[in-house]
Amino acid sequence: MKLSKISALCGLLLLSFSCNEVLERTPQGVYTLDNFFQTEEQAVQSVNAVYNQLRTWQVHVFSFIGMTDIVSDDSEKGSFPSDGFFLQEVEDFEHTPSNVAPASVWEGYYVGIFRANLAINRIPDVPEMDEVLRTRLIAEAQFLRGYFYFNLVRWFGDVPLILEPFPEEFAIPRASQEDVYAQIIADLEAAAAVLPQKSAYASVDLGRVTKGAAEGLLAKVHLTRGEYQQAADFALGVINSGQYSLAPSFTSIFSRPGENGPGSIFEVQAAALETGGGGSQYNEVQGVRGTPNLGWGFNRPSDDLIAAFEPGDPRREASILYVGEVLPDGSAIVQDNPNIVGERFNQKAFVVDHPGGNGNGPGNIRIFRYADLLLIAAEALNELDRAGEALPLLERVRARARSGNSRILPVVTTTNRAELRTAILRERRVELALEQHRWFDLVRTGRAAAAMQALGKAFVEGKHELFPVPQGEIDLSEGALTQNSGY
Amino acid sequence: MRQRFITILALMLLLCTGVRAQKSVSGTVTANGDPLIGVSIRATGTSSGTVTDIDGNYSLSIPETTDSLQFSYIGFNPQTIAINSRSRIDVELSEASELLNEVVVIGYGVQRKSDLTGAVSVVESEDLVDIPTQSLGQALQGKVSGLQIIPGSGAPGADAIFRVRGVGTLNNADPLFVVDGMILNDISFLNPRDVASVSVLKDASATAIYGARGANGVIIVTTKQGGDAGAGRITLGAYTGTQEVLRTIDLANATEYANLINEADLNEGRVPRYPNPEEFGEGTDWQDAIFRAATIQNIQLGFANGNEQSSLNLSANYFRQEGIIYGSAFDRFTLRLNTSRKVKDWLKIGNNLSLVLSGSDNINAGGILLDAYRTSPIVSPRDSLGNFNNTSAVSNTGNPLATIEFTDNKSQEYRAVGNLYAEAGLGKFFTLRTSFGLDFNYARNRSFTPVFEVSANQRNEESILSVFNGYRRNWLWENTLAYNNDFGRHHLDGVVGLTYQDNFGEFISGSRSRLIGEDPSFFYLSSGDILTATNNSGVNGGDWGLASYLGRVNYVFDDKYLITVSGRVDGSSRFGANNRYGFFPSVGLGWNVSQEDFWNADGLISRLKLRASWGRTGNDRIGDYNYTALVNSGLNTVFGTDEILFPGSTLTALANPDLRWEETTQSDVGLELGFFANKLQLEADVYRKVTSGVLFRAPIPDYLGAEPAVRNIAEVLNRGVDLRLTWRETRGKLTYSLGANFSTVHNEVLKLDGDRNDFFAGGLGIGGQLGTNSRAGNPAGAFFGYELDGVFQTEEELNQFPTLGTQRVGDLRFRDQNGDGMITPDGDRVVLGSAIPDAILGVNGSVAYAGFDLSFDLTGQFGNEVINAKKMSRFGAYNYETSFLDRFSPDNASDTEPRVTLAGQNIETLSSRFVEDGSYLRLRNLTFGYRLPNTLTDRLKMQNFRVYVSGTNLWTNQDYSGYNPEIFNGSVFDNGIDRGTIYPISRTVTFGLDVTF
Repeated sequence: MKLSKISALCGLLLLSFSCNEVLERTPQGVYTLDNFFQTEEQAVQSVNAVYNQLRTWQVHVFSFIGMTDIVSDDSEKGSFPSDGFFLQEVEDFEHTPSNVAPASVWEGYYVGIFRANLAINRIPDVPEMDEVLRTRLIAEAQFLRGYFYFNLVRWFGDVPLILEPFPEEFAIPRASQEDVYAQIIADLEAAAAVLPQKSAYASVDLGRVTKGAAEGLLAKVHLTRGEYQQAADFALGVINSGQYSLAPSFTSIFSRPGENGPGSIFEVQAAALETGGGGSQYNEVQGVRGTPNLGWGFNRPSDDLIAAFEPGDPRREASILYVGEVLPDGSAIVQDNPNIVGERFNQKAFVVDHPGGNGNGPGNIRIFRYADLLLIAAEALNELDRAGEALPLLERVRARARSGNSRILPVVTTTNRAELRTAILRERRVELALEQHRWFDLVRTGRAAAAMQALGKAFVEGKHELFPVPQGEIDLSEGALTQNSGY
Repeated sequence: MRQRFITILALMLLLCTGVRAQKSVSGTVTANGDPLIGVSIRATGTSSGTVTDIDGNYSLSIPETTDSLQFSYIGFNPQTIAINSRSRIDVELSEASELLNEVVVIGYGVQRKSDLTGAVSVVESEDLVDIPTQSLGQALQGKVSGLQIIPGSGAPGADAIFRVRGVGTLNNADPLFVVDGMILNDISFLNPRDVASVSVLKDASATAIYGARGANGVIIVTTKQGGDAGAGRITLGAYTGTQEVLRTIDLANATEYANLINEADLNEGRVPRYPNPEEFGEGTDWQDAIFRAATIQNIQLGFANGNEQSSLNLSANYFRQEGIIYGSAFDRFTLRLNTSRKVKDWLKIGNNLSLVLSGSDNINAGGILLDAYRTSPIVSPRDSLGNFNNTSAVSNTGNPLATIEFTDNKSQEYRAVGNLYAEAGLGKFFTLRTSFGLDFNYARNRSFTPVFEVSANQRNEESILSVFNGYRRNWLWENTLAYNNDFGRHHLDGVVGLTYQDNFGEFISGSRSRLIGEDPSFFYLSSGDILTATNNSGVNGGDWGLASYLGRVNYVFDDKYLITVSGRVDGSSRFGANNRYGFFPSVGLGWNVSQEDFWNADGLISRLKLRASWGRTGNDRIGDYNYTALVNSGLNTVFGTDEILFPGSTLTALANPDLRWEETTQSDVGLELGFFANKLQLEADVYRKVTSGVLFRAPIPDYLGAEPAVRNIAEVLNRGVDLRLTWRETRGKLTYSLGANFSTVHNEVLKLDGDRNDFFAGGLGIGGQLGTNSRAGNPAGAFFGYELDGVFQTEEELNQFPTLGTQRVGDLRFRDQNGDGMITPDGDRVVLGSAIPDAILGVNGSVAYAGFDLSFDLTGQFGNEVINAKKMSRFGAYNYETSFLDRFSPDNASDTEPRVTLAGQNIETLSSRFVEDGSYLRLRNLTFGYRLPNTLTDRLKMQNFRVYVSGTNLWTNQDYSGYNPEIFNGSVFDNGIDRGTIYPISRTVTFGLDVTF
């Protein structure tokens, strides 16, 4: 009797319980790819995530600065000798395929490309959303993908050209620079055709990429390729769009109020919120190391850069921060740090007082300024034997720097192509000093070897124009990737 | 009024003691004619009991109604003797030469040890109480063959790490814990003094019944029941003692430091900064400044009674431990209530319940230890006004005492673990059991940092409060049907079961700055500025479920031939949809050779048993949602003139819907031998474990732009030998025993990921350098770097030998392994060691004579190495280990220590210079006790009174220069790298007493 009772009871209990209740789980508080890309909001967020990558350490901070400024004649590593030693190797051209810097940017830029690819691939299938917004979001992602590839191709030459989020095959060989550039131009042209002008965006969208940014970047891409006609056309198109003008004061550009000024074409947005989360370390790694304790002291301006400024050029003082100098915001005087010899800092990357702790700097990263565009136009026009059109553009940049002081920075008048080219390139160097343009300018104009060897660096022509493909990537590519010559 | 109260009290006392008629029994207990001391005697069915004195004599007052006495003594067969109105009963106990009846707790049941086909080691409660610790794991170190216990951390309240038979995974290698049938991921709540026995299940025959969770071994803990306590027993135990750091690191004193820094300045082209190093003298010993002599206390009170019908065990325990670093402390209050009762002759119900409240004062031990290690000894902790000195300016470090001072971080944990069960006998042979268990845990933390300024690098401008509240619950419902029958020469038992388990939890946390007060009464978020508020909530402690079917059949013929077949089917929510259920079978065979008629059990070899097993088990600790592609929603971006943070979300990792458990196939051959009538016993096992489908996030090229999915691709081998040797003998008043266990592990990665054979990990904190490489053919997480070949003594040597980049005289010379005339990362780095020891050893001994007892535990490990990474990572004028004093200089042609610098390759490149031997041998415990003779305890109405003094970690022999070579960093790829942040273990001396009424 009792046996059957108990058996019945147990049977009942067990039957009432289904194992599915225990085994079926929905990931909590998180979407999966299966239920994402279903709403307009999610489409927007997926593109925001591409922008998010722009202010990361890998894309625009440490190694980025190392592989644009520190590697060039504009600056040295800075900080303690032992700190960030792999950047010392970059500075000295002793970097190997195992160096951290190329691996870091390579990874960061490809993460950005993956996110852009996913957005471009999935946003067309989002069920219901505003169609204007849909095409704009895709265009934004295409711009950013183009930008990521542009830096990659300039650093590494041939690179894997990946346009799908989930390629079937993981072993992907490098595409030729030709193909990479063709894709960059295609992406930027597609973006330029769709993106609104800067003034057409709502104020809450400030910082999203624009038609002007896409065309400006196209000008730079074509200039890099030596395609001066297209470079001039795109640059003049942006100039004539009336969207941009030079900020009246050079120094003001790099202050907090100078963010997104009239000359801002493409600027990575950052904000130091009380609660953290919106900042970047771009300024922090370059800030004063010691007292006041603002940063890490990397990217020390070189003697060669200081010598490149014309006598009395106020941009020299505005670009370099010395020990004993009052900080631009007047908050303190820079003190000597006994552990570092010959301290000086990039004043453009000055760290203002901000909430949210270290690593949360509020400063935007100026990627593309109007002065850069004017000089691109001038350079392209000069190469097209249109020096007469080039000179006024150059003069606009110099006039602003002069700030009415007629005794400095004389007006450039030469129409000799070589002389004017030299003048424009020098202007680029001092106007854009420590803004991560110098290395690419040296390489694209074929002057890297001469400039580096003049400083006694171990630069090998035909090798060091490009960085090595990260060794780890070659190892993981199952033989698909090859190394750049000389490494 | 008062008088009446006293009268009543006196009456009650009388009632308690003298209400029943008493009689007296006395006698002598002997073995082989020699008197036996310490034999436990109990009047059946009562609380009356005593033990024999040094002459084997006893005397006991018992109720008139008592009809028998029970005599028991470890290592001897217990006897129950009818009194038959005698007043003198002399007893001769026989040694338990037959261990046939010793019962071992295994998964879902118990088994006679002689019937076991699997490799199971058992530790009894009396072997767990000598070491003063709140952690059962710490108490188990060196006690079990095949079980490696790693202290992990010396922080107060820290739990130990268990490793059974090597490391058969690249992921979480913790064994499964089962406490009174409740399956748990950790046993940090357990009070070692509540534990009756621990079974360590090692081979597949023993663990397969735990299926997808058995691959890392299973630790079964059984807590004390009241069953053997008769009519009542009260126990009181207490100890108190002092702890101090086991050893300190040899660091340069102030004068030596200033000399070294001066020399580094010279070597690196600077002006020496200290014109007169001698003026600093010895300077500050920063380790001395942060360490203290710390107290440890424990008090335990227990009540038990039990008989055929019911049993009760109630215990209360309070444990308190100060940390040896200032500012850290832990305390824990534990209540345990285990009961069972036969409500019908066929139905037994019961419960096991543990309630735990614990609290800790936390410090950032890692930062404090590193600062003490690095800070210049020329700076004193405080200035003449008592303010903290700025250590940052001199050595780029924080002042560790200020860090302690300005830390206010407290945690509490409330935990209830237990189960309720009912067992129904169905007919003669079947038992149906259902058990519902719950592990509920609520944890909270709050951390407050006041406004302070020690230096520009060590300051806090706004006060901040962070709080965390989280719960986790884990329920387990198990239903089993067991069968047990002896017929003729056959024994057959078996069990089948159906179980469900479900784990989930949530946390909520937040922080605010600018509190309106700095008193703890303001430590609520509402006291902070709402503009600075952050908050968060999410899953806490895992979200998973398991549904399982299990079974085992055990057949014994004639006590000679044994076969066990067991298995489990586990369905887990963690497995991908394509692999939801796994099947884990095993088979074990045994032969009690010495039971055969042809065997002469009175010969030299009194017992011989052979066993062999094979089986397959799994590891399900593979992450809760790893089978699917999760969208990362933290990828915010800033837009707009108002700089608003907009949410950004996208995929950041690839998915693997085929995800499944890791699968370990283990074979084991065991031999059990008894010599000299089983006084000497040897148990030996040889095993081979191959884990395939090990989850590995095999790197994919970065150009794919997403984190790789975890995949079941790697393969790991562990093979080794477990040996256990015990000798126990009683000679007259002297009883002594000696045990040794010895285990070897050969750990090897068989396969990582197809053709790709290198996996680098273990960041060393310098330029992204990685310290380990898990390459097929090497141990998991093998250290990987350059081999030191000497120091460049001359310019000629610099020209003669290849260099790593630009090197100078006085720099380290690395070996050109492939002889290509260059030093390159790919060609010349080699395996420099491994954190996994080749062998672990435990030796336990005890002697008892005339009331005195002495016991010791030795433990050791051999053949493991440590990367002394703290010595490598230098970002400033840090202090130096004294090993730097032997540096190369024009006056000192050192071939091992390079010229001193603040930075550079000599310090920053991983080479054998930084790899040290991690072997050690330690006197884990030495306890000396004295038990009052019966004549006295009887008079005091006690059963037992013992006092003892115990020393833990009194002596260590190690070559390693750091605190402790047992470096556990939580990952196979990272273990053994000493970054100087692990809380050191201590040497402890305690005094204690145990009383039983």
